[in-house]
Amino acid sequence: MLSLAIPSKGRLKDNCHAWFAARGVTMEQTAGARGYRASVVGFPDIEVMLLSAGEIAASLLAGDIHLGITGEDLLREEAPELEGRMHLIQPLGFGFADVVVAVSNYWIDVTSMADLDDVSAAYAATHRRRLRVATKYAQLTRQFFAQARISDYRIVPSAGATEGAPAAGTAEVIVDITTTGATLRDNGLKVLEDGVILKSQAQLAASLTAEWDAGARAACAALLAQLGADYAALAAQLPA
Amino acid sequence: MTMTAFPYYEDGALEALNAQATVLLNLFAGHGYGRAEPAVLQPASIFLDRSGEEIRRRTFTLTDPSGRELALRPDLTIPICRQAVMDGASFPARISYNGLVFRHQPGEPHRPTQFFQAGVELLGLEDRARGDSEILTIAIAALRAAGLMDFSLRIGDLALFNALVDALDLPAGWRGRLKRHFWRPGYVESLLYWLGHGDGATRLPKSRAEIESLLDAQGDAPPAGRSRQDIISRALERAAEAASLKLDTRVADAIAQMLDISGPADIALAKIMALLQTAGINLDPQLAALEARLKTLAGLGIAPSQVQFTAHFGRNMEYYTGFVFEFWARDKEGAVQIAGGGRYDNMMEMLGAKRPVSAIGCAIRTERVLAARLQTEKAGAV
Repeated sequence: MLSLAIPSKGRLKDNCHAWFAARGVTMEQTAGARGYRASVVGFPDIEVMLLSAGEIAASLLAGDIHLGITGEDLLREEAPELEGRMHLIQPLGFGFADVVVAVSNYWIDVTSMADLDDVSAAYAATHRRRLRVATKYAQLTRQFFAQARISDYRIVPSAGATEGAPAAGTAEVIVDITTTGATLRDNGLKVLEDGVILKSQAQLAASLTAEWDAGARAACAALLAQLGADYAALAAQLPA
Repeated sequence: MTMTAFPYYEDGALEALNAQATVLLNLFAGHGYGRAEPAVLQPASIFLDRSGEEIRRRTFTLTDPSGRELALRPDLTIPICRQAVMDGASFPARISYNGLVFRHQPGEPHRPTQFFQAGVELLGLEDRARGDSEILTIAIAALRAAGLMDFSLRIGDLALFNALVDALDLPAGWRGRLKRHFWRPGYVESLLYWLGHGDGATRLPKSRAEIESLLDAQGDAPPAGRSRQDIISRALERAAEAASLKLDTRVADAIAQMLDISGPADIALAKIMALLQTAGINLDPQLAALEARLKTLAGLGIAPSQVQFTAHFGRNMEYYTGFVFEFWARDKEGAVQIAGGGRYDNMMEMLGAKRPVSAIGCAIRTERVLAARLQTEKAGAV
């Protein structure tokens, strides 16, 4: 059996079904499974699970499922080093969103990460505590700030409504996801010029830590052929 | 002892380590250092506030059942300094320690996640030259007392670079940037490049009136922890910087050349002096301090030619502010760092001290010292 997880709700779910349908693949709800299981018409060896986007990233990393569709932002946050753990088979052309570093419009002197470096160092020196960065992308933030040579900051985990943190006084800077930038603008925030951490979209991804028996490989090859996606690059990374 | 992420101390190995620790602690006590033992589990904030998020990569953090974030101590220096601040210790304070520290080793899963460190901290001795000399003397005496006679020494001095930057005709912001990033290999060189070629800050508002009206136009954007005055001052500073930029490329080259100097200390010192003379920069006090350290070492039987001086050596941890050093020896796997330390003169203030308190310390990797000693003994027996 090949297990495939797709988003269980929202626009990501609708886009996902449309993407499959456009490639001649239809899903059918499994009777009595309360909407958490489905099957693929014509592919009896594939079991489809409907999970939240975050669970899909975690399940791929844990090797609980073979294939999954979820946002690249979630995949990279879950597993900062994808190599040997996950393989991104194909970007799907929907679910576009950027993970960005944003600061208040009031900070007219800050437009780049280098400015943020100056300001964070000055802040640490005068306040004797570090600038706080609110985010749910702690891993991505740490990586990106390290590349930008910024170390004078603290991450404040944020569960939701990250864009409100600077106004609420719980953080000075945020790292968040944005599609049109409207939410950031509404909150008086701007994206730094070189502050785009990741241009994310939905990805069809494979777990490299799952158990890939012959049946799963065959079903995967058949499904990817039908979808017009590349199986060879994935097969090359699976244990012989 | 084999290299493993999770060391297992057998009876004999532990006895030998404890015996060595007793020798070291007695030696420290003989120099007036009293032993302290901070808790293994510390509030994570004391390390994060001091060293920033970067330290998370090397530190084991956990959340206690009440939601407080804790850390397994990655060193004993910060907890000891913090205690001295909280106790309102009288200075100079001389403190020694011996205990386990815990480090995640990113990308090197075979390295131990915990190891012993024995060391000393000398806090609040205003005569820095005396402090440098005292710590070097103790470090060398400690290695010898532990039975290790064959080791090499590598030294550097961040103060030399800072003084060089201060001697240049540069805007304050650029001085801060160069000093702040000195310890990052490669990055200073790219900063120097920007300095020579303009930094692209040309689109900033130039006059105070322009800045004020831009600020007024921001509606109800949150101040996010910065005052209007703070922002105005920095915007003005940046505008001035952008206007006055373009460091003389000959000076930028001189800095880059100095950062490249590395070799036996006597030769390195001569090279630096020649370079500074050509560039017309006077760093006599810093060079005198370097010479004084070499004299201390010579008095301890270590000739300047045996000391490696590396100008860009700032240690891979950002809290050092001046003199830095590393001792190296060989175990059966090759060259290993067995001790290291240096000056961290602004740590006490960062931890809450009301006035500046000078600080210098040294930490010895006792397990490596033991392994290196056994290796020498084995080599000697052959």
